[in-house]
Amino acid sequence: MPSAKIRLGGTVLAVLGVLGILVLHWMVFFWTPTEATMGIIQRIFYIHVPAAWVAFFAFGIVALCSAMYLWLGDEKLDQAALSAAEGGMVFTTIVLLTGPLWGRIAWGTYWTWEPRLTLTLLLWFIYLGYFLVRSSTENPDRGKRFAAVVGIVGALDIPLIHLSVLWFRSLHPTPVVMKPEGPTLDPDMLLTLFVGLGSFTLLFLGVFLQRYTLAVATHLAAVRERDAQG
Amino acid sequence: MLLPNRFIRWGLPVLLLLAVAVVPVLAQEGAMPGGGLSGQSLRPYRFVFYAYAIVWVLVLGWVVSVGRRMAKLNQRLGD
Repeated sequence: MPSAKIRLGGTVLAVLGVLGILVLHWMVFFWTPTEATMGIIQRIFYIHVPAAWVAFFAFGIVALCSAMYLWLGDEKLDQAALSAAEGGMVFTTIVLLTGPLWGRIAWGTYWTWEPRLTLTLLLWFIYLGYFLVRSSTENPDRGKRFAAVVGIVGALDIPLIHLSVLWFRSLHPTPVVMKPEGPTLDPDMLLTLFVGLGSFTLLFLGVFLQRYTLAVATHLAAVRERDAQG
Repeated sequence: MLLPNRFIRWGLPVLLLLAVAVVPVLAQEGAMPGGGLSGQSLRPYRFVFYAYAIVWVLVLGWVVSVGRRMAKLNQRLGD
């Protein structure tokens, strides 16, 4: 029963992720220092950045599995891509909702059509398209292949989002962690951020594995029902 | 047995959400030298609460959605 093992592994990872997020809450509100310029609103950083990281990670899995699905044709790769895309949408939605709350206080506006925000919204719409394309064709296999192409093309937006603050004039600050000369963040803030990154990643992987076993089981059930009918 | 299940499914997440909601305000009450929020704009505190609540609601929503679909599939296979 490999799926039972995957589900158990998923549950363990998800529980560890939730525990990590509870620790993150304690660190954010009781331990890490308040940023001098922005004040308490900067504490959104510790969920906004990890959510963005997980979204990129999830869509990276989508692109990788989609490319391998187009090459090998293995249904499980498509199911893994579908499961990761669902998680990617959840975490991109978190990014798109928490960012404007921060922006309203820091920039004075919920939304502005600056490059990073616009490209992130575009990413959300591309992967919304991934789901729409899957269900828009009469032949399910064709829909999966079209969706795989969207999944690969969509991931090209990820490096653009990351580099947009360097390439274009942007309201977003330039990176404070992923810099050639090393992070320029306060060590306590950096540790809190890493706890957030780790917890969100564990939680995503845990639920992703559960979603993957669901996708595999749904596919097997559909195949069995089709075989039973004729 | 319906009530405990319902409580686990809906009550616990709501309680957890409320607990999380109180944390930012309590933390700042304790941290400020003036010892209070009077005279300060509450908007940033509200927004921080909304942001953390959004994370819990969306992630729990995803978890519950996967769980419900799994339960439905098990029921279908059982039939």
